[in-house]
Formats: sequence, structure tokens, C-alpha cells
Amino acid sequence: MLPDVVVIGGGIVGCSCAYYLAREGVRVCLVEKGNLASGTSRAGQSHIVLWEEPDINLQLEKASRLLYEALAEELPFDIEYRRTGSLALVENAGDWEPFERTVHSLQARGLDCQLLTSTDLCRLEPNLAPDLAGGAYFPEDAQVNPILTTLALAQAAKNMGAEIRPFTEVTGIELSAERKVTAVDTTTGRIPTAIVVNAAGVWSAAIGTMVGLEIPVIPRRGHIIVTEPVPDNLINCKIILAAGYMQTLGATSGVAMSANIQQTHSGNLLLGSSRDFGGFDRTVRPEVIRAQLARNLRFLPALANIHVIRTYAGLRPYSPDLVPIISEGDGVKGFYIATGHEGAGITMAPITGKLISEMITSKAPTVPLEPLSLRRFSHRQEEDRLG
Amino acid sequence: MSLEPEDEVIICRCEEVSLKEILEAIAEGARTVNEVKMRTRAGMGLCQGKTCRRLVSQILAQQTGQPMGEIMPATFRPPVRPVPIGVLATGDDEG
Repeated sequence: MLPDVVVIGGGIVGCSCAYYLAREGVRVCLVEKGNLASGTSRAGQSHIVLWEEPDINLQLEKASRLLYEALAEELPFDIEYRRTGSLALVENAGDWEPFERTVHSLQARGLDCQLLTSTDLCRLEPNLAPDLAGGAYFPEDAQVNPILTTLALAQAAKNMGAEIRPFTEVTGIELSAERKVTAVDTTTGRIPTAIVVNAAGVWSAAIGTMVGLEIPVIPRRGHIIVTEPVPDNLINCKIILAAGYMQTLGATSGVAMSANIQQTHSGNLLLGSSRDFGGFDRTVRPEVIRAQLARNLRFLPALANIHVIRTYAGLRPYSPDLVPIISEGDGVKGFYIATGHEGAGITMAPITGKLISEMITSKAPTVPLEPLSLRRFSHRQEEDRLG
Repeated sequence: MSLEPEDEVIICRCEEVSLKEILEAIAEGARTVNEVKMRTRAGMGLCQGKTCRRLVSQILAQQTGQPMGEIMPATFRPPVRPVPIGVLATGDDEG
């Protein structure tokens, strides 16, 4: 039996592609080299964020959040989706003006959010440091359990006839003389197919190489700290992060760091966030953990007596412009790409799967595809050369 | 000993995960200690699996027919025991 589409990657993005394709009646076979959700999807936090720049990310995030509302009802088990809202904090008075401009710009583009004074913050969150400059509340932001979401998407796809093959590593992709996909070679056998979706995340560049495409996605490490369960009133808003988080994402060298406090469904806190480039090394660096805890303590001093029970580091698929690549592979017929989400893979997984299914079934895309194309990088190289 | 799905005996004491839930996770396809953990939270509590991960391995071995030695163990992550953030952030624990 020939599958119509082979999806490479059993993370949240690959499983979402399999789910939205299966819903369209497409026969899907998903291959994953390890367990489902064993890489990036299990190594982050829980935030569905709606206020990332540039504008295309904002569009993807808004569309994706709406899909999550539906998924919470459609999927076969609870994915712990809750619309919690998020609170962004400005540490210093000097950073207030640029932050205020950003919030006004988001409001102008239709995002529901409101600025908060330092007094508002003290009232809403009495445990926060009293000397912060202010902040903003984003009521549309939400929370989800990424591991359960990945497993539920895979299970739902399976219920609609998809084949899910864990512990199956791709060893090659076969092309015809006209550069059309004809088969995927794996450690558990050859799978004839005309269409492949590369949703291999931090490994997507290596899959691209198999068909001669350069995909400029590299791994970027992020550390997370897990605490014991804490009382529900330690923080009232379940997602609290320093407004500097977005600048952290833009950093290209050293260890970029920002406070990011999220309380999960089970009561534990997940404390982020840092970013550094270290290849595929997932080792936890104690000095990063210490500095990251200090950043979080600065904003929430009440953390001091709470116990850390676990730390981990995971790899985010970094694309050079922090916009995901949801695209056809130029010059290779039947090759599609869904990667490069960096820290927004959980947020953007539903819309990514939906866009891929729309591309493959020739439907009008929910969000414009041009800014997401792989082609944008070759244009950029061209401009750099001419400039 | 034969394991029955209705068994309510607690395997993970920190997260109060019963044998029944572990057996259900294995029936859904979990084959490693981490997969059982992702589905049930067994091993995600305060002791980070010190009590239950060996039990989970044994149950996996019994249910799947794999030898104990071939069951993929859970990942160990620092810190080994719970440490207060105030202590860890300042590095006082090294003194």
C-alpha cells in the first residue's frame, strides 16, 4: 500500500502535518528516528505566544491559537490547553518607552493587549519585585502541554488511517531524473511516495542535503529549570516573562538570557529562558542554570525558597530571520519543508500543519506563504552579493 | 505475580500514578521508561523517579517480553536532589 505523503519528523510540527493531512483524506506515513516528541517538542515550556515580531509571525500565531481552540475539542485526549493570558514585565524605566511603542504597534495591528503601570503590577501580582517599571497583559496568550499535544495529534492522525513509524530513521530520498520525489529510504525499509514533508526540526538541514537543498536551519540550545509544584497563588497569571525575551531571540552570540516563568497544569514551574549556539550538544551547563535562576529571582524574589527538581537543555531549530520556513523545496517536485520555528514551534505547530496540508491539497492558504518561502534566503544572498 | 489492569497499587508515589495507568500507557504503545513518563507523569515528581523507575522497567519487561537490560532507562537530569533556588542561584551549595 503506497502512502500518499511521507512526513519526516515525529515532533509537534510533523505530527500536526500528519493530522491536518489525514483530516483531508490524504494517506500519511510519519517516520521518526526516535520516540515521538523526543527532541525539541519535549524540551521547551508551555507558552502559546501571540506577540512576536515580525508581522508574519504575529499572523501565524493568531491563526494557530484559534486552531488550538478547536484542537482542544477535537483531539482524542486532554492537551491541557488553557487561555491563561501572559504578563510581560519591563525591568528598568529606561526600557519603558521602546516597550510602550511595541505595545502600541501591536494594538494598532489588532492584537488585544494593555499596558500596566508599576502599581497595576503590584496589585495583580503581589509576589513580583516591587521596583519594576511596568508591563503589559496579553489576554489572548495561552498554555498547552506540548508532549501531550504531540502524542494526541499522532493518535488522532492514526485514528484517521495514518501510519506512525517511530524508531525509523531516514537514510536517503530518491528522486527521478526530473527531480521528482519517488521514495524515502529508511532504516525500516523503502517507502515509495511522490510527496515528502521535511518536518525534521533541528535535523531538517541534513534532510534537505539529501535532495540537494540548502536549508539554513541550525540548532540553538535553550535551558529550562523545573521546580516542585508551587501554590496556585504564587503567580496569578500563569505565564510571566521579561519583555526582554524577544531581544533574547535576536541575539546571535554568547548566552542570551531572560526571565520566563510558567506554571503548568500540574503546578510545577518551568523557568526559562536562555539561548546559545553549541551545535547538537544538549548538555546542561551549570553556569547557565545559575545565571538563569538569578534572572528569574530578580523578577520573582519569592522563588528563593522553592526547590529545583530537574533541569534540561533542548535544541530549537533556528532560522536566520526568526521566521519559520513553510515552503515547497524549489527545484525538487514533491518536497515540502516545515521547519525553523525556533522557540515558537509549539505555538505555530497547528497553523504549520494546516498550511502544509493546504499546499499539498491545492487549497487557498490561511496565511500568505511568500514570507515563509525557502526562496527568501537565496534572494537575500543575492542582495548581499549585489549590495 | 501477574499484573491485572484493574490494579490500583501506586507505582509512582510522588505523582500518585497507579499500576493500572502504567499498564494503560504500555497498551497505548509506550515501550521505554521515558514514554511511560510522558504519558502518565510517573517519575516526574519530587524524587524524579528514584523509587519508581526500576519498577516501571520491570513492568515494561514483563508486559513486552523484553529483558530488563534492554528496556531503555529514564534520563537522569541534574540536580540529583531538590535544591532551593536561592541556594542554587548564588552557588552557596559549593561552599
